[in-house]
Amino acid sequence: MPHSTSAPRLGDLERVVMEHLWEASTAGGVSFGGATVREVHDRFEGEREIAYTTVMTVLDRLAKKALVTRERDGRAWRYFPADTREALTARTMLRTLDDMDVTDRRAALLHFLDGATTDELADIKSALAQIEARAGSDSGSTVSTVSTGSTVSTARRTMIRRR
Amino acid sequence: MIPFVLAGLAALLAWVAPGLMARRKGFRRAPRSALVAWQAVSLGGVLAALAAAPAALPLLLDGEDPMQHLGLLLPAVLFSIAIVVRLLYAAHHVGIRLRRVRADHRQLVDIIAQHDERMRILQHPTPTAYCIPGRRSRVVLTQGVLDALPPDQLAAVVAHEEAHLRGRHDLLLEFFTVLHRAVPEPLRSAAALSEVRLLVEALADRAAVRRSGEVATARALLTLAGSRTPEAALGVGTTAPVRLRLLADGPPHPVLPVIAYSYAVLAATLPLVLLAMAWR
Repeated sequence: MPHSTSAPRLGDLERVVMEHLWEASTAGGVSFGGATVREVHDRFEGEREIAYTTVMTVLDRLAKKALVTRERDGRAWRYFPADTREALTARTMLRTLDDMDVTDRRAALLHFLDGATTDELADIKSALAQIEARAGSDSGSTVSTVSTGSTVSTARRTMIRRR
Repeated sequence: MIPFVLAGLAALLAWVAPGLMARRKGFRRAPRSALVAWQAVSLGGVLAALAAAPAALPLLLDGEDPMQHLGLLLPAVLFSIAIVVRLLYAAHHVGIRLRRVRADHRQLVDIIAQHDERMRILQHPTPTAYCIPGRRSRVVLTQGVLDALPPDQLAAVVAHEEAHLRGRHDLLLEFFTVLHRAVPEPLRSAAALSEVRLLVEALADRAAVRRSGEVATARALLTLAGSRTPEAALGVGTTAPVRLRLLADGPPHPVLPVIAYSYAVLAATLPLVLLAMAWR
């Protein structure tokens, strides 16, 4: 299998190309007229070695996934992000939470919690009160233990929040 | 004679047992052993159905006129073939669709979310957390959940999702979904499928408790329960109150897992014992 364009690498490139397009679109503002393959490829200058044809392939894949749209401009295509990152995120959230057929969604993604009805909240709160009472009455500290192997360190969380 | 017993056992394990088992809610406090029991009953049902034809074979090879046993052999063979076909069909369709949904979603999330090792952070205020199971698994959190939960509760949620991935609960649920679909619609037990889903969540909650304790896990459940209301169309309750109850009730009586495992061994081996008897 060739090393240069294995599927995981292409996925990574899709993200980078998408980010380039978003940046270009934000920088261009209202008058952003899209980016050609050449222009996107040039943005990689100095960043990493990437073939022109690879950029073309990536943009084509993104177009098929409806993440970018394109218009013909003479002989070249000009590419636009289909939507802002926020709008795409909102659309993805809808898809994971509401749009998908319930059986498919529950089987495909495993959510921590599907949510609860307002009637159920009362039940939940009383159970929590019981748990807290029991923990409080245990001899010794009431501080819950957090194992040192926690994958989300506080430092990293703060870093994520600041972005 | 034995082929009919096997077919009867298959019917019992596939159509009667799940309904009865779903009502024994005490076993929810021992989710791991309960899940083994559910798997064993399902497997036993499938084995019994598949074994009906092979169990009829000895009559054919008896040396006497095989035609007199046709009345027994033919339905047994047809029954087994029908089961095999339904299972393969369901497995194929369920498997393909699940994997495509996951792959599409994973590719989308990889592009629009922030990366943090295997985790993906979606910039959205609604607190939610889920995992995308499979060979290339992901844990997906929203900025909303990072903002809503203190570190120990967040660690509990992540531990819960990672338990799903580590335990390959997706394969377990796929197994039960396939069997559910393979059974003819009027005979399906929706209660059985939702019971298995609940047990899987309860099992993952155990990992959350090991990481951060019961209080943090319960608080995380409450916070996320209040963050959004489920689809009105569902009409049934969610798993949240039951899971909180299980946390509040604490560990099970030690005899429960023993009963569950014994039952599992019985359900899985009975068809094989019957088959062996047919061939003696």
